[in-house]
Amino acid sequence: MSTRTRPDHRSIAFGDWTMNPVEAALTAELLLAALACAVAAVAPASMRRYLAGIATIAMAASGIVAGGLALSGHSGRLSAPTALPTVNLTLAPDRLGGLFIVIASAVTLLAALYAIGYVHGAADSRSAWLAFILFTFGLQMVPAAGDIITFLLAWELMALGSGVLVLTDHRTRPQARSAALWYAVMTQLSFLLILAGFAALASVAGATTFDALVTVSPTSTTGALAFTLLILGFATKAGLVPLHIWLPRAHPEAPSHASAVMSAAMVKMGVYGTLLVVLRFMPGGPAWWGIVLLSLGGISAVYGILQASVTSDVKRLLAYSTTENIGLIFLAIGASVLLASYQLTAASQAALLAALLLAISHAAFKCSLFLGAGAIVAATGERNLDRLGGLGVRMPWTAAAFGVAALGAAALPVTSGFVAEWTLFQSFIHGATRDAISVAVALPVAVAVVALTAGLALVTFVKLYGIGFLARPRSQGADDAHEVSHPMRWAALIGSGAVIALGVFPGPVAQVLASAVGIGDVATIGLGGLSLPSLGVLLDPMALAITALVCALPVVVVSALSARRHPRRATELPWGCGGARVSPRMQYTATSYAEPLMRVFDDTLRPEQDVVVTHATESRYLVAQVRYRQKLSDVIEVRGYRPLLEFVDRLGVVSRRLQNGSVHRYLTFSFVALIVVLIVVSL
Amino acid sequence: MSDNLYAQLISLTAGTLLLTAALIVWRRSLRASVRLLAIQGIALAGLVAVLGWHERTIELVLVSLLVLGLKAVLLPLVLSRNVLNHDDDREVPRLNPTASLIFAALLTMLAYIVCRPWMGDTDDPTSRAVPIGIALVLIGFLLLITRRRAASQLIGFLVLDNGIATVAFLTATGVPLIVELGASLDVLLVVLILQVLTGRMQVKFGGTDLDDLTELKD
Repeated sequence: MSTRTRPDHRSIAFGDWTMNPVEAALTAELLLAALACAVAAVAPASMRRYLAGIATIAMAASGIVAGGLALSGHSGRLSAPTALPTVNLTLAPDRLGGLFIVIASAVTLLAALYAIGYVHGAADSRSAWLAFILFTFGLQMVPAAGDIITFLLAWELMALGSGVLVLTDHRTRPQARSAALWYAVMTQLSFLLILAGFAALASVAGATTFDALVTVSPTSTTGALAFTLLILGFATKAGLVPLHIWLPRAHPEAPSHASAVMSAAMVKMGVYGTLLVVLRFMPGGPAWWGIVLLSLGGISAVYGILQASVTSDVKRLLAYSTTENIGLIFLAIGASVLLASYQLTAASQAALLAALLLAISHAAFKCSLFLGAGAIVAATGERNLDRLGGLGVRMPWTAAAFGVAALGAAALPVTSGFVAEWTLFQSFIHGATRDAISVAVALPVAVAVVALTAGLALVTFVKLYGIGFLARPRSQGADDAHEVSHPMRWAALIGSGAVIALGVFPGPVAQVLASAVGIGDVATIGLGGLSLPSLGVLLDPMALAITALVCALPVVVVSALSARRHPRRATELPWGCGGARVSPRMQYTATSYAEPLMRVFDDTLRPEQDVVVTHATESRYLVAQVRYRQKLSDVIEVRGYRPLLEFVDRLGVVSRRLQNGSVHRYLTFSFVALIVVLIVVSL
Repeated sequence: MSDNLYAQLISLTAGTLLLTAALIVWRRSLRASVRLLAIQGIALAGLVAVLGWHERTIELVLVSLLVLGLKAVLLPLVLSRNVLNHDDDREVPRLNPTASLIFAALLTMLAYIVCRPWMGDTDDPTSRAVPIGIALVLIGFLLLITRRRAASQLIGFLVLDNGIATVAFLTATGVPLIVELGASLDVLLVVLILQVLTGRMQVKFGGTDLDDLTELKD
């Protein structure tokens, strides 16, 4: 590997080589990744999870350093020659890339810490660890790439590693195979679309480095083609409707530390790719780009949270919630592009800032939620919410981490989710204008979409936390649950700490994010509060929290005093009139909690319901048994993908006639092709 | 050699090539086809020799001897051994000879049409003979798809190869000895391998009809 030297007074010299800090950190990361792979490959089985876990943590830490340096404005470039002349593999993260390296590395670090306590069996095998290390390494290299080839290589490494991880439990769970197949097909589709989009860009730019691609005009035909292909490719990876289909299958099947990285960091690479297109390659895109992104994001947000609100599988619910969150991020990016195309700069920048805030907030809470979900599955052996309950007292640490992360996911105050959605609303409200008809229509609709999404998210996460952690356990597994090991609970707690920290001190965070995309107009105010001077709005959660505490103090004191004066009396009902709950099965369940929603959105969700009544043999007026069954399936899969797959299947059967094994037929094909070519040539 | 004689000789050898190809299409007897193939080999060698004589290059004359040895003697010998091994030397083509001949005529026309921009209005006898090489390729292909017996497939393949060689010699006014040596070895090897396969087929199925080989395996 050769290093191009550049005049930087903070450079580190190694003999003839000089490296600036970013280059040194990236080199360290490459070396640590190689070390981690070696450790995972040779470590004895009993020590593997500790050694490989620590090596992965070291790699992630160097990634955080490299990303942080790039984010703070240092530039660096590592390049290695390839077999092809004039094609070099280049790592050259810019500020935006640095931000996403930090996100990916931080999530990886928590997941690796968690894995030390979590992995066992197939997930602790040599291949699973290697896949995890390569996957997370690819993940950190995608935003560091400085040219198309490196980007695609890292992208493919990420896809392959995660594909292997989805297959980890294939021996015990047959559905993991079908999930991995769906995932592999969709991820390859995404790769092909991105490849085609980059090819379109490179054909005009004449080079493959990112710096050269900026010459393509966004309003040209090639620009439009490249935008469409790249956005479709990145939307597939990001899990947007209707390309989300792999997400609710693959996330639940992967081991929880891997699904945390996939959900919190990998789908973010779709967001990073989209930002690359609209900010770096072709800034100043036309208004229809904004409308496309806005619609994709809006539909995904509502559909994702709607499916999440009615599903009972914990990890599937979280996967659908990922579709919702990424949808919101795309909605914000779309709003930013749309507003910028009408020169509404301040509102556009606020929308972009909201997109980045949503991204880091989602990384923090979704990581914590998936790690928490893994802890639940490990402790109870159950993934179905209808069979959980009472975990709050049995697993207090996990419950605390999960609860805080759920608050973040529901976008309630003093969490990061609230700050992000607040910023998004500010952008929508201040961006409203009567001059441009598309803005005047799109923004109010977007406000409605975000409001509906926020409401449904609240229902979903109340259900998730309330049914899962409160009340009495609904199965033996939940009853026997115990708190998980220290690395697992600490990883989840650190994630939740980040959710609170980002929510309480949004000012400095927003300033860093703003610098990543070149927005200047963001200030810190009060106790780490956020201020957007050009929109004239400010938010100081710390001050609000202190005020709320001060107001709440008298109430707490008075109620404590009154509680002392009237000691609590124990009430035992001798006969409860049906009010006493004799069995845990008489409690609210996740399905019954979501039942009203199911009724309201019946047309969209299309649940399959069966009621089978068996009559007693003596008289058909007496009922012996009533069986009620309800099955929820993804409407888009049933109505969209199944017919498509059946059509392809039929096409395959028909095309089998082309291939009947006769040598003469094959020769005739090539002969006819030759004749046709000759005739066409001679015309 | 005068230009007139040169042109006459080129036309004669090229014409023989085309005529033998047409006769191979027409005849059903494998023995007759092999004999015609030998004549075609002689004609090809003659063509190369004429070229070499005209260009005054000893190398081309050597190449012509190589072609003569391989295509007029060795390959027909190998093939006729295969044919003589069984009494039945009748080919039952998938297309009757009349239709095949019409197709061959159409293919020759196509070859001339394709070569029109190349030939232009030049009087150069080599350029004027190029379409015959293309026609040979197409007719060889036609033989491949209409004949059932493995030996006929080999004959079709050799006609096709003769066509490629003709085009190569005429357009490049001869190919270097080393290249021709390599190509000849290739053809010899292909024929020997196919010969062995045909023998195996004979043993396994009791016949060499390719229509028996239609079972697909995963």
